[in-house]
Parts: sequence; structure tokens; C-alpha cells
Amino acid sequence: MSFADKINSEFELAEKNISSEHILAHIRKDAFTSFQKLGIPSNRHEEWRYTNIKTQLPESLSITGHTTWNLAKDGFNSFAGIKATKLVFLNGVLNTGLSTIIEETGVTVGSLKEHLSHNKGLTEKYFGKLVKKYEDHFSMLNTAFVNDGAFVHVKKGVTAKQPIFIINLYNSPENFTQSRNLIIVEDSSKLDVIVDFQNLGFSSYYNHVSECFVGNNADLNVTKLQTATQHTTAVHTLEAEVERDAKFTCTTISLEAKLIRNTTNVRLSGENSEARLNGLYYGTGTSLIDNHILVDHLVPNCQSNQLYKGILDEEATGVFNGKIFVKQDAQKTNAFQSSKAILLSDEASINSKPQLEIFADDVKCSHGAAIGQLSQDEVFYLRTRGIHEADAKSILTYAFASQIINTITIEALKVYLDNKLKERLHLDF
Amino acid sequence: MLSIKNLNVAINGQQILKDFNLEIKTGEVHAIMGPNGTGKSTLASTLAGKEAYEVLSGEVTFKGKDLLEMSPDERAREGVFLAFQYPVEIPGVSVTNFMKAAINAKRRHFGLDPMDAKDFLKLMRQKMELVEIKKEMMSRSLNEGFSGGEKKRNEIFQMAMLEPSLCILDETDSGLDIDALRIVANGINKLRTADRSFLVITHYQRLLNYIVPDVVHVMFGGKIVKSGGKELALELEEKGYDWIKDEVAAEA
Ligand SMILES: Nc1ncnc2c1ncn2[C@@H]1O[C@H](COP(=O)(O)OP(=O)(O)OP(=O)(O)O)[C@@H](O)[C@H]1O
Ligand SMILES: [Mg+2]
Repeated sequence: MSFADKINSEFELAEKNISSEHILAHIRKDAFTSFQKLGIPSNRHEEWRYTNIKTQLPESLSITGHTTWNLAKDGFNSFAGIKATKLVFLNGVLNTGLSTIIEETGVTVGSLKEHLSHNKGLTEKYFGKLVKKYEDHFSMLNTAFVNDGAFVHVKKGVTAKQPIFIINLYNSPENFTQSRNLIIVEDSSKLDVIVDFQNLGFSSYYNHVSECFVGNNADLNVTKLQTATQHTTAVHTLEAEVERDAKFTCTTISLEAKLIRNTTNVRLSGENSEARLNGLYYGTGTSLIDNHILVDHLVPNCQSNQLYKGILDEEATGVFNGKIFVKQDAQKTNAFQSSKAILLSDEASINSKPQLEIFADDVKCSHGAAIGQLSQDEVFYLRTRGIHEADAKSILTYAFASQIINTITIEALKVYLDNKLKERLHLDF
Repeated sequence: MLSIKNLNVAINGQQILKDFNLEIKTGEVHAIMGPNGTGKSTLASTLAGKEAYEVLSGEVTFKGKDLLEMSPDERAREGVFLAFQYPVEIPGVSVTNFMKAAINAKRRHFGLDPMDAKDFLKLMRQKMELVEIKKEMMSRSLNEGFSGGEKKRNEIFQMAMLEPSLCILDETDSGLDIDALRIVANGINKLRTADRSFLVITHYQRLLNYIVPDVVHVMFGGKIVKSGGKELALELEEKGYDWIKDEVAAEA
């Protein structure tokens, strides 16, 4: 049976288990119809040109298969040093025993599966509204098979005191796990979310989608951690809609991967809104890390800022595609993009492509892309103080990467990442 | 301490040092003066091991070892220190972290454990006082946005931290205001010991009022053309380089 046939029969089977009244019944069917037309993209597809995902997903993978898992409390990194509400998902399904919820008025967190059944008002309004319906292969697959994930809601005018930490753990090499987050931050509210991924098995495959709604004058700060994701083949899609006077920040830190694709799409749909998208990726071995970003300026007076840094060593590959769209109405747009990568070996490579499509005339847009090596003069300077060549290079690589880590506002998280980076670079200061 | 014999060095195919000879004994302070572009920094960089400088022929022995065989970092760990004429700015690396890495690299080289945090901070404080550097400086990125004078002070601070045997100072005085010059020179003087040698490159006699040299050399056209006592610096200050050039021309 081909992968496509297998997915078809899994979908049919899944359909039987869901009542036609369920809020998802239609959405899922539509999404699946879309997906059937789209299929899994090959590298002939422009958006997947440098990331041949099709060849990296074994045909034997099951979409609906779920491996149960008895995981001890100390069997994973629970980020003990960071105080937060922690939702722990095992192969895509919420595990309440491992989760810790710090109750806060106006903040609702829990299993998306449950909220889709019991919180229809909100989920009907928001679920599936941001994913690109007829074009995004993996969002459609994810929507068609949606099962569980995190549901986060912050009421109007509420500033959440604790961050919400969504910890996704994987251990099953047989499944292509579909998981989904729905994050709603209502008008004038504020929230920090950290989404972490850990592969605890031999290899893992997953397709993760987050939809983020940022209401008027609200502030949502999302940090995505791919720092324990060796042997991981994953597609991450994050869709955000940012309303008037609101601010959305997304920081994507990818330090380990077999193949990871991060698609980050932001719609600035309310005037005077702002998006900050920062990223750091560090590939070694034969890993491939792909960041596709789209900031869509739909209305006037908005700001966006993309700042990505990549380090590629050994035979690693990086892909950066940063799009800035400025629609005709979006006058007085201020959009900026910077992508810098350093190649630490001759076999490492990066495909970097800025893509600006500007239809308004009164805008400020700039982009810069730099690919290079470490500065010889800087390496020499450090060596003249007795520092070995390899260490000098590590120190300079650390300095390069620190700029992104330093943008992180949750102090304990910044310290964690700083140490993680030092560990990766074998630095002991 | 240092012995340079018939050293010929080229950069980008152009020969700069021509049969250069110099002998510095342990504990001595030598000054090198000479017109712009004559190869003073080339000498300093060659001794520090900068790759772009191609050694065509000649020998350099440092404490009895072949210096030219060593990598730049090995030279530093063995005790060669170059205070740069133009220190490089390194964004994102704090002075503190940088010094920790440098000190511990040297300690490991001599089979010692990394310095513990408390001792390290104490040492930092001590050496900062020596050249009157403010504490805030230590958490800033190395040389980034430092004023010309601050960069030079920072070089001497690093030198004090690393306690080298051979200190090469390339125009450490240029860019320093009058007070800073005195402070830095006093700092350097405190580092003068019987087992440490100095090679001081400068354009101005003023520095040599503070750091009194044992020998003054005049460099011209890639080699030393005249050597003398500290009075030679005064004479150069007074008369410029033309008379030296004439002397060289007459000999040729
Ligand atoms: N990368 C290079 N390529 C070609 N020529 C170079 C290079 N670097 C230095 N030179 C030349 O080598 C010569 C010696 O330069 P050097 O910096 O050693 O002079 P200096 O004596 O230190 O001068 P100053 O007093 O101005 O500092 C100069 O003519 C300079 O232009
Ligand atoms: Mg010079």
C-alpha cells in the first residue's frame, strides 16, 4: 500500500469514530479533501525545494497510531528551574499526571481534545481559522487528523503571571504524530508561552501546528525550543494573527534535528501592530534545519522585524526563506529582515532567500542576508591570548549566537539556553 | 629571551622585513622607533604568529625554543604577548569570559586545573586597579565601542593578567591622553621584573621617559639601522629621521 493509500484508509477509519455533529466533522473532512489534492510535497514544490521531506518520511508511518507510554516524572527534562504551568504531552496526548497547573484567574489551559468538545463557543470561533486552507499540505493533514494538543486562553485584560510551558515528548518511530495548539490571547491581555520538543526515542516524526490569536492591544510571546530533538523529522507550522496595537514575538531555537521545518506565518491584520520573529539554528552532522517565514502586512502603520542567525557545521544544511508581503493598503509599513549564517566547514551549506513583495508605496522595508565564515582577525586575536584555535572558534560562534539568546525575556529560560549553547560548543566559562 | 637572526618576511608577495636581527636578553627593555610603514607592526605580528606574514628565511628563538614552529596560541601560552596597535573588536564576547578562557588555557598548558571563580575575580580586580580600569568594562563586549585609549588600557590589563615573559607593545602610547599615558606607563613599569623582557614600539620619546629602555633601535627599510642607549630616542625626537636616512644612504 502506498503512503497516500495508507493515509486514506486511516482517515476512513478515524471518521467512523467521530459523530457527524462534532464541531470537527466538517472541518476535518474539508481539510482531508484539501490534503488529498495536495499530498506530501516533493522537492518539485517551490516551498519545499531544498527540503525534500517526502523522501524523509518512511511510508510505513502511521498517522493515527499512538504508542502508550509509562514515563517517570524524572524521565524527561521538566525544566525544573523555570516556574510555569507545564503541560506535558506524550506522543501528542496530554498526560495530566506529569503536568503541573498553576491556577490563574482568567487563564485557561488544558487539552485541546477536551476543549473542542466542552468549550465550543471559543473553539468554533477560532479553531482552523488561520491555517492556509487550500495550500498548506501539512496543516491540512494535521487538521484532518487533529486529536490532541494544548488549548490556551487568556481573558480580556489579563496579564498572565506565569508562563505556559508546553512540553511535547516523543518516543515512537512508527508514528507520524499530529499535534495541535490553539492559543487565544484576548484584547489587552499578555502571555508568555514556551513550546518545547524532546525526542526520547530512537527517532521520531511529527507534524505540529499552532494557531495563535493576538487580540487588540494584547501581547503574546512564544518561544519554541528544539534543543533535544536529535533524530527528529518534524514539520512545525505556526500561524499567528495580530490585531490592532498588539504585539507578537516568536523565537525559534533549533539546536538539534535530523530534519526540521519551521514555517512561521504572521498576519498583521490590525493597525499599529508589531511582529518580532527571532531565530537561532545550529546544525551539525547531516541535519537539515529549514525556516520559512512570512510576515503579511495587511493594514497601515505596522512593524515587523525578522532576525535569524544560523550556524552550520560538518555536513549540515540550512534553509532560510523570509517573506515580507506588504499589501496595497499597508502604508507606513516598517518591515525589516536580517538573516546571517556562518559556515564552519566546507561541507556545510545554506540556501537563503529573502522575498519581498511590496504593493504599497509609502513603506520602509529592508533586508540583509549574510553568509560567511568566522573572522580570521578575531580568531587570531583570541589565539594571541593563548586560546586554542578550536576554542577561539567556539567562543566566536557563541558570541554570534548569543545575540538571539539575549532577546529572550524569561531570565531562567535565557540562562538555560545560554548553558545549552555553551555545552554544545564545549565552552566552560 | 628572544633572538632573531636574518629574518626575512613578506606580505602579499612584498618583502617587508629584510635580514632583520635583534637580541633581547631576559629582563631587558628594548625600544624600536622608526618611520611609518617601515615594518614595525610586521615584526610584531610575525612574532605573534599571524599567518598572512610569510617567513621567507631566518630564525627566531624564544627561551631556547624555535618560535616559528609554534602556533600563535602556543606562543602565547609559552609567554609571548603582543599588545596590538589596533586591537580587534569582538562583539558578544565579554572581557571577563575572554580572560577566563585565556587564563585557563595557559593553566592547562602547564598541567594546572582551571582557576576557581573566586581567585579569578580577585586577580581581575587586582589587575584592573593596575591600569585603573572601571569594573563596568569587564562585562562589556571585548573592545566593542571602546575608545582608542580604553582599547590600549585593555591590552595592558590583559598583559597583566597573563603574566607573559616577553611583552611586545605596538604603539601602546598612541591614542592615550596625558593622564592615561602616565597610568598605563606606571602599570607597565610595575610589570617590569628581572625575568620579563619588553619590546616597545613607539613614535614618541615621551613614553620612554616613563618606561626607560636599556636599548633604543632605529628601524628603517625593514631592518634595524642604528642602536644606542636611551639618549638616541631624545636625539630622534629632536632631529627626526632624515639624518638616519642620510647615514644609511651614505653606507650603501
Ligand atoms: N596586507 C598587506 N598587504 C600589502 N602590504 C601590506 C600589508 N600589510 C602591511 N603592508 C605594508 O607593509 C609595510 C609595513 O607595514 P607596518 O604596519 O609593519 O609598518 P609600521 O612600521 O608598523 O608603520 P606605522 O608606524 O605606521 O605603524 C607598509 O608599507 C604596509 O603598507
Ligand atoms: Mg605599526
